[in-house]
Amino acid sequence: MAALLALDAATKRFGGLTANKDVSFAVEAGEIVGLIGPNGAGKTTLFNCITGYMHPDAGRIVFDGADITETRPETICGLGVARTWQVVRAFGRMTALENVICGALKRANRVREARARARELLEFTGLGDKADVLAANLTLADKKRLEIARALGTRPRLLLLDEAMSGLTPLETTAAVQLVRRIHDELAVTICVVEHVMEVVMPLSHRVIVLDYGVKIADGRPDAIVRDPQVISAYLGERRAAR
Amino acid sequence: MARLALLLGAVAAIVYPIPLQLQGYTYYQTVGFLVLVNAMLGLGWNVIGGWAGQFDFGPQVFFAVGAYTAAMLYVRLGVEAWIGLPVAAVVAAVLCALLTYPLTRLRGHYFAIATVAIWMIAQPIGATWELIGGSQGLFIPVKPRPDALAGALSLQFSGPTKALGYYYAALALFALTLGLMALVERSKLGFYFRAIRDDQEAAEGIGIDSRLYKVVARSITAAVFAAAGVLYAFWALSVFPEQVLELNWSTLPIMATVVGGIGRLWGPVLGALILIPISQIMSTTLGTGPLAGRGIDLIVYGLIIVLIAAFRPTGLLSLPWGRWLRVRERARGARQRASER
Repeated sequence: MAALLALDAATKRFGGLTANKDVSFAVEAGEIVGLIGPNGAGKTTLFNCITGYMHPDAGRIVFDGADITETRPETICGLGVARTWQVVRAFGRMTALENVICGALKRANRVREARARARELLEFTGLGDKADVLAANLTLADKKRLEIARALGTRPRLLLLDEAMSGLTPLETTAAVQLVRRIHDELAVTICVVEHVMEVVMPLSHRVIVLDYGVKIADGRPDAIVRDPQVISAYLGERRAAR
Repeated sequence: MARLALLLGAVAAIVYPIPLQLQGYTYYQTVGFLVLVNAMLGLGWNVIGGWAGQFDFGPQVFFAVGAYTAAMLYVRLGVEAWIGLPVAAVVAAVLCALLTYPLTRLRGHYFAIATVAIWMIAQPIGATWELIGGSQGLFIPVKPRPDALAGALSLQFSGPTKALGYYYAALALFALTLGLMALVERSKLGFYFRAIRDDQEAAEGIGIDSRLYKVVARSITAAVFAAAGVLYAFWALSVFPEQVLELNWSTLPIMATVVGGIGRLWGPVLGALILIPISQIMSTTLGTGPLAGRGIDLIVYGLIIVLIAAFRPTGLLSLPWGRWLRVRERARGARQRASER
């Protein structure tokens, strides 16, 4: 079976800085893949390339057999890729329910239909009692949940979560991890998470991909990744890795 | 409660000119006409400016396109205004789509400047294009109509009932616009416009084609401006560039929308009800006095805008009316209970 998402030597440069260099990997349907790396490793740039906000200077990105290297974001969403944002981008002047309706309208012809779907998703993400709160007035944790609910409204097959757990308290993080698991198990969505927090990524992911200075340095099962000398050196420095 | 207010408002709008007309006054019918025209324009501008959040300072171009289209059809081909009106709206919407698509790459101030630029380009075109009468424009002759019904059907009223006739024509068009905009607000379009306003990237991420929907929003605005332009042209009995391309055809509706409540369906209506009578009544009551004709109404507008911008940038409708009214009801209820005791 062909991979759901495949990157083939994707390269993205900003002037002299190469944010992603010859990055190749595949995500199979049904996986939870963790994408980790130190600050500035090029994780968000990679997400932006996959979702069409940026286009790689070289290489190819294929989703479900369709070349999406030069495709615009709204089209990629239509194909079944949804994302959340590192810095939350909820529609602040709309209520939580209206936010999710906007997402659900991608797959619903009538507002009534989208509204019903949006209510389900708010319940699913645990925001059922905040449906009529303006998004701008939600807490950070709730805004992140709202973004996930809105993204789920577009019925994605692949969900890209860009630091969905950063800035949350330990309790909120646990709840968020549970939510990601439920999205994977109950909605059968393939998930790719970008995350800083190792303690979150390792138990959650089936497979972990590590970026450092824009280059993929490791790709494998979480228990293998934590023992990988290159990964340890990227995170902890050369001296500790040598030991 | 809201339904009752709507009903009372509708009755007041329909009935108020009748006693005035019977006493032989026509002035307040004309004021009402201008309020309705500006409220209608505000409703139109609210789509691109309020919901889609793109500042458009050049919609008067489509007011002119509408006025010219219907006037040309009437003068050259003898097509009646009520047929010319939908044609004009469609022509303006299509022209707007073609002109706006390239602009949708621009955002914020740059989009606003581009809309002004199109208006500045339209002015010399209007003043020099011989086909549409150049700087002299077009005169719309009043054809003799056998009775009031024929007048209403052709959007031509004359004599003592002229002001009343146009008032009701404006009321009908305003009500139609209001109803259509209420539909748009609750439709997919309304959600998508507001999504683009709040965060364009996030909107694209959930599958909204921001360029397409900005074009759709501005074309709806253009169609409303064109319809109002047709009404105005047949009221004024002429169309010429300086008149229909005047900047006031965008600034007054924009001010009305901002004062009343930007992005709210009733915002422009409330704003027009406040602003237009101020200007009309001031310019007549000051008459030939020392302040007449010095733009004193603009000074008052300026003050109102400053106050709104400083204290309530989201407009008068965003004030907590619900809470205030409920408090008063509760107080009334408490008084009643006290008196019963």
